[in-house]
Amino acid sequence: MYFNEQESLYALRLHQIHGIGTRTKNKLFQAFGTYEGIFHASKKELVTICAEKTAEIILNNQDMECARSYLDQLLSRKIHIVYPGHPSYPIKLLHIYDPPNLLYVRGILRENLRIYNRCIGIVGARYPSVYGNEIAEYFAGELAKRGYTVISGLARGIDGAAHKGALRVNGYTVAVLGCGINVTYPKEHVNLFHEIEERGAVISEYGLDEKPLSAYFPQRNRIISGMSDGVLVVEAKKKSGSLITCDRALEQGRQVYAVPGRITDKTSEGCNDLIKQGAICVTGVMDIVDDMEGKENAGQMIMMLDEDAGEMVCKDDFCRENEKKEEITISDSLECTKNALAPMNKIVYSCLSLDPLYIDDIIQLAGIGITKVISILYELEEQGLIKQPLKGYYTIAL
Amino acid sequence: MYGKILSCALVGIEGIPINVEADVNDGLPTFTMVGYLSSSVKEAGERVRTALKNSGYHLPPKRITINLSPGNIRKDGTSYDLPIAIAVLKAMGLFCDVDFSKLVMIGEVGLDGTIKPVPGVLPMVHSLYDRGIRQCIVPLQNKKEAMLVSGMHVIGASDLGQIVGLLQSEKCMQIDNDGSIVDYMDTEDASQIDFSDIKGQNVLKRGMEIAAVGFHNVLMTGASGAGKSMLAKRLPTILPGLSLEEQMEVTKIYSVAGLLTNSSMLIRKRPFRSPHHTISEHALVGGGLVPKPGEISLAHRGVLFLDELPEFRKNVLEVLRQPMEEHRVSIARVNATYVFPAEFMLIAAMNPCPCGFFPDRERCVCTPYQIKRYQSKISGPLLDRIDINFEVQQVQYQELFQNDCLNTSKEIRERVEEAREIQKMRYKEDKVMFNAQLTEAQIKKYINLGIDEHRLLEDAFEKQRLSARGMYRVLRLARTIADMDASDEIQKKHLVEALYFKNCEVKKDVF
Repeated sequence: MYFNEQESLYALRLHQIHGIGTRTKNKLFQAFGTYEGIFHASKKELVTICAEKTAEIILNNQDMECARSYLDQLLSRKIHIVYPGHPSYPIKLLHIYDPPNLLYVRGILRENLRIYNRCIGIVGARYPSVYGNEIAEYFAGELAKRGYTVISGLARGIDGAAHKGALRVNGYTVAVLGCGINVTYPKEHVNLFHEIEERGAVISEYGLDEKPLSAYFPQRNRIISGMSDGVLVVEAKKKSGSLITCDRALEQGRQVYAVPGRITDKTSEGCNDLIKQGAICVTGVMDIVDDMEGKENAGQMIMMLDEDAGEMVCKDDFCRENEKKEEITISDSLECTKNALAPMNKIVYSCLSLDPLYIDDIIQLAGIGITKVISILYELEEQGLIKQPLKGYYTIAL
Repeated sequence: MYGKILSCALVGIEGIPINVEADVNDGLPTFTMVGYLSSSVKEAGERVRTALKNSGYHLPPKRITINLSPGNIRKDGTSYDLPIAIAVLKAMGLFCDVDFSKLVMIGEVGLDGTIKPVPGVLPMVHSLYDRGIRQCIVPLQNKKEAMLVSGMHVIGASDLGQIVGLLQSEKCMQIDNDGSIVDYMDTEDASQIDFSDIKGQNVLKRGMEIAAVGFHNVLMTGASGAGKSMLAKRLPTILPGLSLEEQMEVTKIYSVAGLLTNSSMLIRKRPFRSPHHTISEHALVGGGLVPKPGEISLAHRGVLFLDELPEFRKNVLEVLRQPMEEHRVSIARVNATYVFPAEFMLIAAMNPCPCGFFPDRERCVCTPYQIKRYQSKISGPLLDRIDINFEVQQVQYQELFQNDCLNTSKEIRERVEEAREIQKMRYKEDKVMFNAQLTEAQIKKYINLGIDEHRLLEDAFEKQRLSARGMYRVLRLARTIADMDASDEIQKKHLVEALYFKNCEVKKDVF
């Protein structure tokens, strides 16, 4: 699974050493070219690159046994490691200020991650509104359908919704953890974790059973933005961790997209602020697609995920132009759905929005009898037009 | 000399005849009692001796032996005092020409000879009536209760002297033999509470009506103050009345529990029991050295309302599982297994989370984990046995002051009775009163679905991941909804509504 056992071992050993910063480790790697080289260097050679104290730490940690047993432990759990110089290492990370020296990986890091302008980080509030959840899932799904890789943090709320959206259309998604690779946090995402592992990749900078410490999350955020070409913020409060991701993204030269919200919504304050500061205001999937692909040279082929075949196919510019003309906004398509419904169903459907509405209120708004409303709601739910996020509460489905 | 008097022991709510034998013989003066007796029965010796003395009958200084047979049933309680006293007197040579073979005696005796009431008179007398006994002497306070058994000649005894006098006189058997229960029916009291008190909550009310028609179990989840308890308390006002047979069953249970009061001899209203959540499992299903009926049996043919369901101890809730399926509870003890009927309708209410405001994220301060833990206090198997699940929302201000003409309890009850009649007609061959009581075999017999309906159910079975039990519950519920529609066939809309109410899957990760 890994390309050079010896090199992996040395990379892991260096990663295990405490007391040396990520930056210094990177500097050492760049100077020596291989991790093996670092360990075989004399003190004299080391001192030319780093402080004497650091050199001593390296010289005192030449014992490889702990790295070997740890590596065996990892492999027995189907966890592999990637590091700068490894062919699977997400290449974009190399261009950020402090690339991680080592990433633990469950699942497969695909070629997709190497394609420029096809990786989107989707982040947002941990306790979003139902609306935010739906929007995140929708954007992730639509982008994944177009062959984008969705990168997020497996957190509650928007992160989880983004992963789910990508998986639903059989897209590729990567979850970056802020805890050990063997730890599922939050616990309720255990099924999602395994699904991502199977069909995408779960990665972490932290060893097997590291607990999710608050200090790890900002660190994790730099990887999310570093692996992406742009970061989409769906819902964020004024002081949100997602804004840290945005700061990192800007430092790393990535684009920031934000979904606008109502000015009265607390959960959208952060997003609206971002737009004020110059983030790209996103009201439809094409806003992101156009921005990203506009950066590319004309005539370049773009990869499309063929939903039926489940594989990547190429589309040329001509197709893309067509798509652009046909672009319809979300509200247009919802209007379309509504107009296609039978009169009674339409009345009930019109009452609903992305804010959950209690069944009693639906009955009152629609002015139809209970029995009939229940039948209609059942029918609409069967058709996948509405959802019941909680028993008795209904929202429309995007 | 030897004397024998018939009395009665209770096993569960069944009376078993007990022969009280007394023998007075020469020998050292003792008073011995045998026959698998509990200490409360053994103490009867002292009570009876003193009571007889104080009533003017001096026991001879002889060897007196009392035996209660059959010897394999454990005797408990104080109801054997009276038969022991009379048996001793008979063994001393009184009442030579009285036939005691068809006369049963029940009662506790005080030291001064007065006769005191005992629990369980009704089921005892009822069982003995079935065995051909037509006369009984019971404490005066229990007389009304015993007279509920029509055809039984009841003598109410106030003290030992009076009974001895009666037995010695010729006319003793002609008194109090009307056996009529009509006089003792309590009059319908006009309830202060009514269904129209509840504003809004239309779905909830609809669900309650369905529950009342088919006797289905209900779980209400919602914020505090949304009207859950209020609604549950009004449920009895729309429940159909009890038939005479049912009234007798319920009254028997209350008699055994010693809960019959003088004012309401025959229980005519469906019981409504709402035990506090600190209740123990024994108090809930019944228990004790000699088991007494618990709350679920006291709620027989009525409502068991468990408010704040997650606050009940887990083991307490889990004991509900078996009785909810079998409609009775059997309690095993070393000496016997006691069976109490428990055909109750479970109405449960709970908050969605510890703070009570979920899913209102603005006010709810609970973490998803807290919410999950709170809701997981209700086990899956218990949820599976619930037919109707509600999420209750707070009522809007406008609704509170709306003056719509809302259905009163009386109107709803009329509708309920109507749908009840349909069930009665359909199930007249079987011993079924409500749709909820249908067994799986009976469901096959009475419920036929069309092809479309089958397809719909199959779909839902997969999607909602219903269990087999859950599916049968949906069918029973759909049958009830169809009955309310006066429809012979279960149509798609009935099934859809049943599925709506049954579904309890909460997708917690959304909030």
